[in-house]
Amino acid sequence: MRFNGEWLSCDDGIVRPAIRGEILADDGSWKTFEFLVDTGADRTVFSAVTLAKLRLQPLTAQEGISGLGGSADSVIVETQIRLTRETSSKVVFRGQYAAVTQLDSLDIDVLGRDITGLFSAIVDQPGDVVCLLGQRHRYTIEHV
Amino acid sequence: MEEVTDPEELAKARAQDERFARNSAWLQAHIPEVYSRYRGKCICIAGEELFVADTPEEVIAMAEAAHPEDDGSLIRYIPKEKMARIYAV
Repeated sequence: MRFNGEWLSCDDGIVRPAIRGEILADDGSWKTFEFLVDTGADRTVFSAVTLAKLRLQPLTAQEGISGLGGSADSVIVETQIRLTRETSSKVVFRGQYAAVTQLDSLDIDVLGRDITGLFSAIVDQPGDVVCLLGQRHRYTIEHV
Repeated sequence: MEEVTDPEELAKARAQDERFARNSAWLQAHIPEVYSRYRGKCICIAGEELFVADTPEEVIAMAEAAHPEDDGSLIRYIPKEKMARIYAV
């Protein structure tokens, strides 16, 4: 199983590793987003604009999510995330995910280790590779 | 984790992916002007057209009104300041 991503140009001119996916909205439709592949993030977190687009009702308020900039107000939502395999089929991850509620807290959705931890994550800028590998896909490291 | 194999659902998803890809390509082609002019704003690209507002709700409404058929719209908040970021939330 392989999910391919890309190095995405962001607002500051920096390229960051991202994987495109969909999130199930309150009305039953799937909405497409780009997720930062953040191997340091403990969990998947949606931005405030994503939360607005999904119109999901929060289950609970969370105490906060902390990063370098301090703590951010957040809520928990129950939904599904769908990623596209190398075969073009889709794989669905059901769960409870955090979402920040302030626009300034997060400008891109973050794919955390609750999902990336199920796979081998490759974030290789010189090699121009971003992907998640699982099941019968493996990588090798070679001395050339 | 479960795999979707329904051909009809996959075809619908592929069409949406293509619409999103077109909107994303539009943004990537206009990055300097969009990101420099609209700091602190919410942007939405739908039908390969840019919409700008102060809140996500406003910008989504504008995009949906102009392109109700486009289910591959792209929404983003552009941070007020350009600075190095550490996510790891």
